[in-house]
Amino acid sequence: MNRITLTINGIKRTIEFEGHEMLLDILRDKLGLTGAKHGCDTGTCGACTVVVNGEARTSCNLPFRMLDGAEILTIEGLSKGKQLHILQRAFIEADAIQCGFCTPGIIMHLYALFNKNPNASDEEIKEALSHHLCRCTGYTPIFEAAKIAQEYIIKKERSSK
Amino acid sequence: MGFKYIGKNDIQRPNVIERATGKAVFIDDIKLPRMLYAKILYPEYAHAKIVSIDVNEAEKMPGVVKIVTGQGWKRKFGDCIHDRLPMATDKVRYIGEPVAAVVADTERHAKEALKKIKVQYEPLPVYTDALEAMKEGAALIHEHSEEHFYVSPLYAPIPGTNIALKYEIKKGDIKKGFEEADVTVEKEFNFPHMSSVAIEPHATIALNKEDGTFEIWTANVGPFAVREQVAELFEIPVGDVRVHVPHIGGCFGYKSDPSIEPLVAYIASFVPGYPVKLRLTRREDFTSTFIGRGIRSKIKIGATKEGKLVALEEKLYLSTGAYADTGSNILIVAVQASGGAYYFPNAHVVGYSVYTNTPPVGALRAYGHPEPEFALERAIDILARKLGMPGTELRRKNFLSEGKSNAVGEKMKKSDGNLYKCLDNVEKAIMSEKTPKEDENYYYGKGFAALIKSPKAATFASKGCHLKFNVDGSVSLNMSGADVGQGLWAVARQIAAEALKIPPEKIRVYNEIDTQFSPWEWQTVGSAFTFQGGNAIIRAANKAIKILKENAAKVLDRDPDTLEYDGEYIYDVSYPEVRVPVNKICRGYVKEDGTTIGEVVDVTSYYRLPGAQNPDPETGMGRTGVSYTMGVQGCSIRIEKKTGKVLIDNFATSIDVGKVINPKGIRGQVLGGVVQAIGETLSEQIKFGEDGKILNPNLIRYKIPGIYDIPVKQTIEFVETPDEIGPYGARGVGEHPMIGVAPAILNAIYDAIGYDFYEVPVTPDKIKAVLEKKQQEEEHE
Ligand code: FES
Ligand code: FES
Repeated sequence: MNRITLTINGIKRTIEFEGHEMLLDILRDKLGLTGAKHGCDTGTCGACTVVVNGEARTSCNLPFRMLDGAEILTIEGLSKGKQLHILQRAFIEADAIQCGFCTPGIIMHLYALFNKNPNASDEEIKEALSHHLCRCTGYTPIFEAAKIAQEYIIKKERSSK
Repeated sequence: MGFKYIGKNDIQRPNVIERATGKAVFIDDIKLPRMLYAKILYPEYAHAKIVSIDVNEAEKMPGVVKIVTGQGWKRKFGDCIHDRLPMATDKVRYIGEPVAAVVADTERHAKEALKKIKVQYEPLPVYTDALEAMKEGAALIHEHSEEHFYVSPLYAPIPGTNIALKYEIKKGDIKKGFEEADVTVEKEFNFPHMSSVAIEPHATIALNKEDGTFEIWTANVGPFAVREQVAELFEIPVGDVRVHVPHIGGCFGYKSDPSIEPLVAYIASFVPGYPVKLRLTRREDFTSTFIGRGIRSKIKIGATKEGKLVALEEKLYLSTGAYADTGSNILIVAVQASGGAYYFPNAHVVGYSVYTNTPPVGALRAYGHPEPEFALERAIDILARKLGMPGTELRRKNFLSEGKSNAVGEKMKKSDGNLYKCLDNVEKAIMSEKTPKEDENYYYGKGFAALIKSPKAATFASKGCHLKFNVDGSVSLNMSGADVGQGLWAVARQIAAEALKIPPEKIRVYNEIDTQFSPWEWQTVGSAFTFQGGNAIIRAANKAIKILKENAAKVLDRDPDTLEYDGEYIYDVSYPEVRVPVNKICRGYVKEDGTTIGEVVDVTSYYRLPGAQNPDPETGMGRTGVSYTMGVQGCSIRIEKKTGKVLIDNFATSIDVGKVINPKGIRGQVLGGVVQAIGETLSEQIKFGEDGKILNPNLIRYKIPGIYDIPVKQTIEFVETPDEIGPYGARGVGEHPMIGVAPAILNAIYDAIGYDFYEVPVTPDKIKAVLEKKQQEEEHE
């Protein structure tokens, strides 16, 4: 058994594991954090995306053993109880959630993007979304949701200054 | 009629917060006590006899609980044709067919043990195309297809051949029709195999209890079909199989008929008392569930020089895969839809569903419609050119409209919709800007296509609504429509709110289907939920209101028919102050001394397509569709010279939906449907090697559209010709945006570069090859 310590959704945890596991396996099977999904397990669909040390990463191909000391945020850590995150509200407002299977991954990617750069250009937003597959929405509502969220975020930043 | 909730945008999708927060429970998120995991062994050949299976070594591997093979099993299953086994017994017919399974404590252990199973095969000839499998002397994929059970003679195979089904329609006099024609077009088209590719792969958990009953959890929109087929397979009462459906991560067709459920139930039957989970990898999702499309067509149409269509002759060939149960239905639908949105006085269309060595063909969004309508809409464009007439004009001259009959002889009603208005809308959107002249980088073009589809299903297919008034006057709604993202929960909430005159927030919509408690429903397919489910809700609401009135009549000492309901009260029409609140009578009325009178307001209602018939066995004709939704699509595109890439500047869709129930939701259906169909048109295809192996079973090589592949703009406009029987005038629309996309784009490609493609997908390399050839020819001149 191997063991590492890392922070997941703000909680410091020490986790034992066999060695071959990917981050997604640990999240889903060991920690019950099933928001990140298995869509392809080859890094293509983005359904397993979580935020690792501030970066959006596909967790299906990220070996867990490399994450000692890492800080991880999953969709479960995004909303504060009944208080949804701006991105989640924007996705609902824009009707960007159909089946919802791609949603957690996409929201986490946008979270990482806007955290680094709230003023990301449309091209940068599209670049982020290009790492995700969604079969339901045709992407337009997702892009619209990203823009709505961005507006809220920028407004909030301004008002807090 | 003024509506309070119908057509309004401020209705939140029920259960959407679960989906936004990652808490929605999908099938793979479910863990049960004692759960075991299965992995499946697949064959090395797409068509072979199984000579022997040796599991000895595998049994000794760590964690292994059981090795399961099909040896000794006899009973087959299916819906209309029973030709499938849960697991291969004496032969394999496609590359993704289960040969054996390992059940172990972990998936990893199961996978390890798989490698130790030894199977000997005797390979047989492989066919992946109907035309090959139909040839004289072809090896038989099912040696005794005539022994399969089939529900009616319509589904009878042709013994001694690979033809699983032949279906034919005859309208008017085809010979006379072509005699009247001044111009004809005769072409061959191909819509190859594709996959639904939901982002959630298939998974199922099955538990065979020690008492012989089954409990199944699965991502399938047809839980009642799963229940029936599993019950039949194990010869137990249907009620002894209980199926749960959690959130589903997209369906698009291939999760609508039982696919892996009978297999997992079969495996579970070897470890009674232990739930067994099988979750497919993305690769298996391509190779071992249903694939879609796979139809070739040879079409001939004729018109007078004035542009009146007079004859349609067509042969359709479906490469139905190793099992024909769903495929044969697809073929029937394709034949019935072959006349598209046009009136042909004379038609003769023959279809063949042919066994091949591919995964079985199953539903794929709008099945049976994109295939023939692609051929027809392209042929019409080519015919228009021959006639020297704009394609839009030829279309207008021949559109189905009131009193005109489609290919199966069903007369359209005025309330079925207005294609002219749809074409006007699309033309306005696409033609408002002039097509730019070819420039250094691009060719430009425009194209159009009409579309039509009925919610065709089994004639007895119903949807149910179980509606309970709670003690505070709020309402619980249980139905069996699976919200796979199309947004039917929101539609259900809106229709219930409208029918019951109560605010949507007071209506709790179910988020799980359970065959033990949910009302029976055939399957959530065919864009039929709004239409049938909506009517079931209205019926249930009316039943509930009737009981409320009867209860109130007792309380108020009135006759029920002198009372009215306004959502909060039942009151006397003439003396509104004589009233009783709904929440006082929804569980009966409790008098001061405690005695209680009246009924509990808890009702169930069903709705099916009224008057839907099976086709006439002689002519193939009949009232098979009942309700039709029609529309037009068009696009302006540019083709990049350097790469051959098609870029869509504007894609316009106008569909006569009768009545828009949920504006945001319906827009989402069009946006998403168009993009999915763009994938089918420009990039998606399951590629088979000659040996029947799938060459691209992953999302890298089977490319579905990403954000860079979508149109720059989509123009969407709905026409609202109220349907006579649809709820509040509404018709189905979920699949329709898929239908006109391929022909519209291929027509635009011709407009841009003067080259006719007859097959999708038109990938950049195919266009590049054409452009290079064109350039060589020009240089030659
Ligand atoms: S599951 Fe990780 S990218 Fe698809
Ligand atoms: S919402 Fe279904 S895959 Fe994106």
